[in-house]
Amino acid sequence: MKNKSTTLSLSRRQFIKRSGGVATAIAFPAIVTSRKALAEPTEINMLAWYGHGEPDVVSEFEAMNNVKFNPKYYAGGDNMLGLIAQSPPGTYDIILSDAEFVQQLNQAGYIEELNPDDYPIDDFIHEDFKQFPGHWSDGKMYSVMVRFGYLGVSYNRNAIGDDDAMSYKCFWNEDIAGKVGHFDWHLPSLGMMSLLNGNIPKPFDIDSGAWKGVQETTMSLRPQVGGFFDYGGTFNSLKNSEMSAICGIGDWITGVLEKDGAPVTSVVPKEGGIQWTESYCIGKGSAKAELVNQFIQYMMSPAGQVRSAEMAAYPAFCVTNAGQAELRNVNMKEAERTGQIVGAANNPLTLISEGRIHYREVPIQQSLEEWNDFWSEYKNA
Amino acid sequence: MTTDKAITWFLRCYVAVIFLFVFAPILTSVVFSFNSDRFPSLPLGEFTWNWYQLAYQDPDIWEAIRNSLVVSLTTATLATFIGFCTAYTDFRYQFRFKNAYLALALLPPTIPLIILALAMLAWFSKIGVSGRLWSIIVAHTVLCAPFAMAVIRLRLQQMDKDLEAAGWNLGADEWRAMRFIVIPYTLPAIISALCLTMAVSFDEFMIAWFVSGLNKTIPVFILEILQGNVDPRIYALGSFVFIVSATLVVCAQLLLSTNKPSTRSG
Amino acid sequence: MKSVKPGLDAYALTWRLPVIIWQVLFFVAPLAFMIAMSFFLVKNYRMVEAFELANWIKMFSRDYFRDTYWQTLGLASLTTACATMLAFPAAFALSFKVSENARRWAIFFLIIPFFTSYLVRIFSWYVLLAESGVINKIIGFLGVGPYTMLNTMFGTMVGYFALTLPLVIILQTLSMSSIDRSLIEAAHNLGAGRFRTIFQVIIPSAKIGLVVGALFCFILSFGDFVSPYYLGGSQPPTLTILITDTTKSGQQWPRAAVVAVTMMVTLMVIAFSAIKFAYHNRSQ
Repeated sequence: MKNKSTTLSLSRRQFIKRSGGVATAIAFPAIVTSRKALAEPTEINMLAWYGHGEPDVVSEFEAMNNVKFNPKYYAGGDNMLGLIAQSPPGTYDIILSDAEFVQQLNQAGYIEELNPDDYPIDDFIHEDFKQFPGHWSDGKMYSVMVRFGYLGVSYNRNAIGDDDAMSYKCFWNEDIAGKVGHFDWHLPSLGMMSLLNGNIPKPFDIDSGAWKGVQETTMSLRPQVGGFFDYGGTFNSLKNSEMSAICGIGDWITGVLEKDGAPVTSVVPKEGGIQWTESYCIGKGSAKAELVNQFIQYMMSPAGQVRSAEMAAYPAFCVTNAGQAELRNVNMKEAERTGQIVGAANNPLTLISEGRIHYREVPIQQSLEEWNDFWSEYKNA
Repeated sequence: MTTDKAITWFLRCYVAVIFLFVFAPILTSVVFSFNSDRFPSLPLGEFTWNWYQLAYQDPDIWEAIRNSLVVSLTTATLATFIGFCTAYTDFRYQFRFKNAYLALALLPPTIPLIILALAMLAWFSKIGVSGRLWSIIVAHTVLCAPFAMAVIRLRLQQMDKDLEAAGWNLGADEWRAMRFIVIPYTLPAIISALCLTMAVSFDEFMIAWFVSGLNKTIPVFILEILQGNVDPRIYALGSFVFIVSATLVVCAQLLLSTNKPSTRSG
Repeated sequence: MKSVKPGLDAYALTWRLPVIIWQVLFFVAPLAFMIAMSFFLVKNYRMVEAFELANWIKMFSRDYFRDTYWQTLGLASLTTACATMLAFPAAFALSFKVSENARRWAIFFLIIPFFTSYLVRIFSWYVLLAESGVINKIIGFLGVGPYTMLNTMFGTMVGYFALTLPLVIILQTLSMSSIDRSLIEAAHNLGAGRFRTIFQVIIPSAKIGLVVGALFCFILSFGDFVSPYYLGGSQPPTLTILITDTTKSGQQWPRAAVVAVTMMVTLMVIAFSAIKFAYHNRSQ
């Protein structure tokens, strides 16, 4: 690794901190275990998007290590920051963050430093992912990318033709008036509008003129919009054909329905798609950092990567080559569906190399608040 | 006469329609809790116990049930105590700021839950007690106490004021009169207030969602299913909540109506 | 009757103080803190205690806040008017057209919905109202529809009615059934027709129950988050949705507090006017 020396000295500091944690962990359970059965599992508090703490993901790790995950779910990075800020420090042991919010987590001092040697970073499928923006600061690593996916046009194939769906313009189709839904978070939807306006390659780094343009484009979609939904609502409206297209999502929601046989799918249109990226962080002051680190290592292992790819709540791409290979071993059908096969036409890396994928970011030239403010205005228009 | 009859029949049909509106969602939830399809729709799929089994096997749901029971039982006790204090003070005393006192005690249910939830969470974070089961209990007690007060006050209304005074005349001090006259007399109301407040707390989700942190109660669990991967487990849980709450309400109702004859005799 | 010293002895304080302490600590203080919070600032996702009008100026200068305010107020008023009118015939029937026993059972059944999970009922309505849902399937057999009912104001209002209608009917029935029957007979004897009796005798006598029912209906629908979000699809968004949106986004709790305080003041004004109206002319 590049920063071997710094990492080493820091991991010593971490070691001391952790061993302190271990000491209390040993002393403390001695009191507790006298009352409770020895088999009482260690509880790990998790803050994550919906589904990450469900049995299909964590039950194997729980059984192996006698732990119990206690998840709190959020939707959207700003929501996550709010939840951490309201809770006493050290509440969350593990945080699954959107990659673009890691930087804020770090700045606010909510997360611990990680040791890059603990994870198979060299095996990551793309060079960018090894030092994903915001995950490193001054040569120190704070977060490890665990999964990703693409956002584009998600639609009901009975309502929109596959050719039509290759452009965000299909949201304006007259015959789906009132049947375009939004995932109720400003960042993905507005990013798509920015792509449509040609703000390439940096849809989130736009000056005030371009931002104005994004607002105008978005507003012109308003008459088409039939509702604003959370994860459950998006899921249901596509499933029961209440909505014909949803702006702001991708395969992470339609994939679940597609596997279930519903005529819905997602594509990355010609204007390009947005990459969502999820990364694990260890909560500052967690007494269970060692255990959490083990869990992250588990999720980065080929077996864990398959769990993530097959996650019941929403699928994602593997970030390691070994993970992809394991997925092909155990679930070729899903590997084919998502193009995680070397040389496949829909291979996620092909899209990146074609320059059609743009990482989701927080707005660079405006404040997050300004974007959110516009979102409230838009909902009300 | 015939128009009268026609009107009467029309009105009865109208009442039936209203009842259909009120009970349609409840019936729907019961029917679809036994239906095999993941998204509830017509025509029905096969009969299944699957959703109940799924819910039964989920340890998180049992944890939520445990939390709900702890919260609602503690809330019921505290709220009934506070409600009793308010009711008794209102019954027994006249004082200068009594209206302010009663407003303080009775206003919480008129504040929208989302506002109470926001205020409670902000306040609890400020004083450093957010995200615990206790936070839900404290908030629910504030919400529920007025209901307990109303039930107990009604019962006190039926009590002859001279009864307590007679006790004093017979040499009992106020504490003994409370112990041997007032409390036995209001006992049915106290128990029904316990049931009622427990039921209110058992079903409340807005405040619990805001202040609970990682401690989910059953309604919060239901809300998270609704926000997440919606499936008919929500109906299985709904039936469970319904059975618990309905039992509590029926108990409250029975206790309130059985004490009526004793009022006349007493 | 021997009057016992009504003074403030230990006994009296035992019953009075717990209530005062508890309510001040956990009811007044949170609300007061929320008002204070509306003047705080947010810097880097953290609240900073301050006394600035910034949040108030910001919110009140935003069109969307004003629009949402009037829409929510309008929606809650419309719901209140509809619920009051929809409930009245039912309450009238339960008060005058059925036996006392039947009335008691009816009220008992109307209480039941309060103890089923509101969230589950709303999800049931979602299933009933969906475009491929139960109601559209049923009316489809009759050759009508399908109608779009979800993600509209209609959807929101169905949810509001599910929340409020039983309560409004109960309150109306309780007040109407306690009207002195001889009053109604007297009106009949004086030759008053059915409708005149209703408007000149029954409604004035039951005024308090009607107003209190309407008031509770207003409070509940004004403050509900679930129906407008899950059945209305935020079309239109309400103040409650604005509150949750604001708390979710970048820790803007002070602005959410501005919305909440505005709601509270609105409710207080409406509640006081309603109560005043209910008890006005009562002596005549």
